[in-house]
Amino acid sequence: MLLEINDIHVHYGKIAALKGVSVEVDEGEIVTLIGANGAGKTTILKTISGLRPLSTGRILFDGRDISSMPGHKRVLAGIGQAPEGRGIFPGMTVTDNLLMGAYARKGDFSKDLQEAFDLFPRLAERKDQMGGTMSGGEQQMLAIGRALMAKPKVLLLDEPSMGLAPMLVQQIFSIIEEINRRGTTVLLVEQNANQALRLAHRAYVLETGSIVKSAPARELLDDPQVRAAYLGAGATD
Amino acid sequence: MLHDFIVQFWPSTTDGLALGSIYALIALGYTMVYGVLRLINFAHSEIFMIGTFASLGVINLMGISTPLGGIALVGTLALLIVVSGTVSGASAVALEYIAYRPLRRKGASRLAALISAIGASLFLQQLFARILIPWWFGLPKEKGALPIQGRFVQREDLLTLGSFVIRSDKLIILVAAVVMMVVLDQFVVRTKLGRGIRATAQDPETAVLMGVNIDRIVSATFAIGGAMAGVAAALYMLRFEETNYFVGFLLGIKAFTAAVLGGIGNLRGALVGGLALGLIEMYGASIFGTQWQNVVAFVVLVLVLMFRPTGILGESLQKARA
Repeated sequence: MLLEINDIHVHYGKIAALKGVSVEVDEGEIVTLIGANGAGKTTILKTISGLRPLSTGRILFDGRDISSMPGHKRVLAGIGQAPEGRGIFPGMTVTDNLLMGAYARKGDFSKDLQEAFDLFPRLAERKDQMGGTMSGGEQQMLAIGRALMAKPKVLLLDEPSMGLAPMLVQQIFSIIEEINRRGTTVLLVEQNANQALRLAHRAYVLETGSIVKSAPARELLDDPQVRAAYLGAGATD
Repeated sequence: MLHDFIVQFWPSTTDGLALGSIYALIALGYTMVYGVLRLINFAHSEIFMIGTFASLGVINLMGISTPLGGIALVGTLALLIVVSGTVSGASAVALEYIAYRPLRRKGASRLAALISAIGASLFLQQLFARILIPWWFGLPKEKGALPIQGRFVQREDLLTLGSFVIRSDKLIILVAAVVMMVVLDQFVVRTKLGRGIRATAQDPETAVLMGVNIDRIVSATFAIGGAMAGVAAALYMLRFEETNYFVGFLLGIKAFTAAVLGGIGNLRGALVGGLALGLIEMYGASIFGTQWQNVVAFVVLVLVLMFRPTGILGESLQKARA
């Protein structure tokens, strides 16, 4: 198991955001976490990357217990994240934003930059533009490209489809598929359950801080409860 | 009034630029720390004060008997810059470690850090006034200014065109300040540590996701800001040849004004704000009389806060939080 989250509890002050969540991600998989707003999806990702402290529970990554490892070291361990709201550095150029992705690594990054530009030709066209002046879709590409600059073993994606036009959502999802095909494990948090379940191998359903279902993604697409709650009552096929 | 202004225009200009250079260098420390931590480091004025004493110590140790000029002066100044820069930089790092970091760890409010800053400022002033200065200079109790021993700087007129005179010491100060600012600006734009500082200023949480060690960035920011205050201290000693334990108080507030005037959080704004404030003060003094110099400076602060709170250049370290 590449990433193993073991019965974690996380609190914001006195409020419990996660109440005993366990999630496993195997190497090479795309796993998705679906659930409504406020279910705790983002908190899970922030806890994995060390931005939120655990109250209890353990996180194992690549055979190591990283529960108390400081956030900035988890990048080097192999955890990359494109955060909620994309987290683009607004006053830095596209190139500088990408270079920030490789901050924890040493060496020459011209080859990695080239790879990111190959994956997202749009970024190459805008490499000297300030991150804050780009469109939502471009920023999402930049956030994913930047996370890949760290050469992560697992890529955490927090709502990559948020606020994007349907065409762009398609494009972003096919890029995620391509990234996975090239060998990066993906843990995807989405409100767009329909798209996410079509892409992922396995899925977890999160409700108010607890996992209520876990199954192969295809099965959940046909699950009547999931269809009613997350795919809309009128969802066809 | 206007006549005085015209007669004194060139001397006011060169004085204003020399003074403004010192403001600008101190302003950098306020602006960088604000950019990264959103904290006004009110003890920064004491970091500057410590730098002036480091320079004073070096000058007295060297035992200069005749005023220095030319290469000897530039070489001595370089030594003072290195010593004061190091001492002030190290003091700033220690200050952050003792007075701010424990609060940050506990997630205390910014107001708590601000109070800690004011406390640290008073502590350092009194430490010098009551313990260090009496011990160092063998005085029963620190009273007034502590001049350097003997004459230090030979002040030559390099160029005279009618009423326009360039004096060596003022030129050196302006050149040294501008060089330091350009070096710092390039450092922040081009190096990896500079990128880390900018990223932390714009979005600290995402910076952590990139592998940035925030504590290290904060220490680096204090070290750089402190070192710049040390450089300012060396230049101040070259210009005024004396110091005291409260030397940082007024200069610190003026430099803070310069930082706000240029746009707090903005490095280039510190240079623009510093030089602008120096010039405004000196022109104001030539029009209304020197007793009005500080009034003019603070009226400027009030006007800026009222009509353009983001300053001349606005925030740029964290520009356009989209």
